[in-house]
Amino acid sequence: MNETLFYVLAGLSVFGALATVMTVHILRSAIYLMGVLCLSASFYVLLGAEFLAGIQILVYVGGIVVLLVFAVMLTRSDDLDEDRPTWPRKIVGAVGALSFFSVSAWLLSQSPFAEEKVLETSNVDIKSIGRALLDTGSNGYVLPFEVVSLLLLAVLIAGIVIARKEPQ
Amino acid sequence: MLFHWVLLSLALFSVGIYGVLTRRNAVGLLISVELMLNAAAINLVVFNRYVAPAQVDGQVMAIFVMALAAAEVLVGMAILVMLFRKRKSADVTKMMGLRH
Repeated sequence: MNETLFYVLAGLSVFGALATVMTVHILRSAIYLMGVLCLSASFYVLLGAEFLAGIQILVYVGGIVVLLVFAVMLTRSDDLDEDRPTWPRKIVGAVGALSFFSVSAWLLSQSPFAEEKVLETSNVDIKSIGRALLDTGSNGYVLPFEVVSLLLLAVLIAGIVIARKEPQ
Repeated sequence: MLFHWVLLSLALFSVGIYGVLTRRNAVGLLISVELMLNAAAINLVVFNRYVAPAQVDGQVMAIFVMALAAAEVLVGMAILVMLFRKRKSADVTKMMGLRH
């Protein structure tokens, strides 16, 4: 049951991603991206990471896609209303992407992973994620957590400074 | 099953590479970068689930990836909106210089 669901969702997700990069209208591209990100949230649910699925919807779909849509609407230009790549560009892109995919897939099929027996009910809950984020021990992530909070503050200030109107 | 999961994130990442190589619009470029970041985050959670199911390290790193993606989009959009005000174009192939 879960495996069938995985293959259906994976097919839809790859199809949505292809639509995202191939459509000529940027606004449609942003909407397709929203679909792909929602499907990724469903992957997180399949993987037993429900908290991440919620964060994915909140941050990606609720924040980043809305920001992208705003940017599309603010930067509507006459010369680039539709993004139609030329054939050489398409060929370079396809060759680059396909060669990366085939080399990585071949390497992946060659490498053995120490796969552990997966428990049906995941014993990882939100509490342990919170503990790991604020743990000061050797396996804790409190330093990156604080660095990220600093980074977000810096980004907030940088966004205001860059995008404000120039003083006359 | 692990192989199929990683193959899925690999496919999404490759599609993102195609987008980065073909798009001319700056917003389209950022959308493709978002696809690639999202594929990498899926990869982290997959390895968390199948290689170390008792730990949460992969999920924590996926949270960091999301925070960094938000930061990256915000700065990218701010720069793009400023450039667009000056040049009336979102075409990255025309943004050759950093000044004027």
